[in-house]
Amino acid sequence: MQLLYSLRGAVWILVYLLFILAPLFALLAGSHPPARGFWTEFSVALGYSGLAMMGLQFGLTARFQYVTEPWGEDVIYHFHRQISLIAVGLVVVHPAILVVVQPQLLAPSNMLEAPLSAYFAFLSIFSVIALVVTALWRLALKIKYETWHLIHVVLAVLAITAGAVHMAGSGFYLVDPWKRSLWIGLVFFWIGLLLYVRIAKPLFMLRRPYIISEVRRERGDTMTLVMRPDRHPGFRFSPGQFGWLTLWGSPFKLTAHPFSFSSSAADADGRVEMTIRSLGDFTSKIDQVPTGKRVYLDGPYGAFTIGNPADMHVLIAGGIGVTPMMSMIRTLADRGDKRPVVLLYGVQDWDSITFREELEALKSRLSLTIVYVVAKPPADWTGERGFINADTFRRHLPPPYADHEYFICGPNVMMDAIEKALGEMNVPMSKYHSERYSFV
Amino acid sequence: MRRLFADRLVLTTGAIVILTSILFALSRVTG
Repeated sequence: MQLLYSLRGAVWILVYLLFILAPLFALLAGSHPPARGFWTEFSVALGYSGLAMMGLQFGLTARFQYVTEPWGEDVIYHFHRQISLIAVGLVVVHPAILVVVQPQLLAPSNMLEAPLSAYFAFLSIFSVIALVVTALWRLALKIKYETWHLIHVVLAVLAITAGAVHMAGSGFYLVDPWKRSLWIGLVFFWIGLLLYVRIAKPLFMLRRPYIISEVRRERGDTMTLVMRPDRHPGFRFSPGQFGWLTLWGSPFKLTAHPFSFSSSAADADGRVEMTIRSLGDFTSKIDQVPTGKRVYLDGPYGAFTIGNPADMHVLIAGGIGVTPMMSMIRTLADRGDKRPVVLLYGVQDWDSITFREELEALKSRLSLTIVYVVAKPPADWTGERGFINADTFRRHLPPPYADHEYFICGPNVMMDAIEKALGEMNVPMSKYHSERYSFV
Repeated sequence: MRRLFADRLVLTTGAIVILTSILFALSRVTG
């Protein structure tokens, strides 16, 4: 399975590069005007490549399950953010080089007589710079997430469209009708990716709504939403996967929220549960959700799921990061699967341990060991205290450590520390799986 | 670690695109 995922991942990297570089090389085919010097040609190539990279950003966030599966959605979003800096760099350097090699472009007379396509270039560059600034400093600029999301999509479409008009208007390499058709087709393809996730997917979800059948209070300022498919069979998920929840409004609403499924994947009636802790604007209103409410789910997503049955499964949860682990444990219990499972559960205090009673009860149905690591333990606490680290592993896991499979979900700072500790214990990367719940 | 891999992939992609753009320009000026 791991090898298959690696192969699929490698294929998608090649496809990604092909979509950026092939249209560039297509410009070299057939007839073209005389070259204009190395730096001008280099600058033009950067402009075309940058535009192609920006367009493919719509593909990275289009939630194609087959594409995201080998990596995990959190890594895809991380790549989306990082590669956007490269793309914007290319788009900004493109005119900068032109201005350096042809300083006369900045002369007032040339500025006034600039062709319309040059103004679209300005608009595109302004849009990409605004995209980056609002994405990197959203919190400092005090922009609400939902507002930022709308601005982000509008600026992205504006940047791509203005860039495409600039490209077609400049027309130097697009004199041949087939080259022009290729690049205009590409632009339609990129916009099509956006329409897929914003129109086609919501239309599908609209026909497959869910009904809130129960809202259950859990320990630790946390609520569980129980959702049943409304006149459709629902979907099957693997334990550890997540879905995008649209709680208030229609599935066409721009902002959905990703949450792990916490219920057993063995439930055959399509029922799914999401367990949500009050951590922000959206999550603090979960306790106001009435039963009977219609909601929309897009899923399942994610590569974070149980592994080889022969391996000991070490589940490492920080706070509400326990939800995908709970789905795994409940599923294994329902399937009568007796593989050894160790849950290392980092919590703030004893009273706020979400699922505490159920976890204790599940021990009788599974080969399950639970180690609570309590940051603020009660005075008479004799168990683990502080935070999960390499010493916790050494005290509770049998060596050799590289033989187990590790599943990590929690706050970023905890996940970074755990991944570092596993690396120091010579656990190969193929043996651990992680999902960052704050990836959006 | 997967994020580290993604970071390396970003840098590698950036390098490939820049090198390809250099190749594009060279192939144009050298005919």
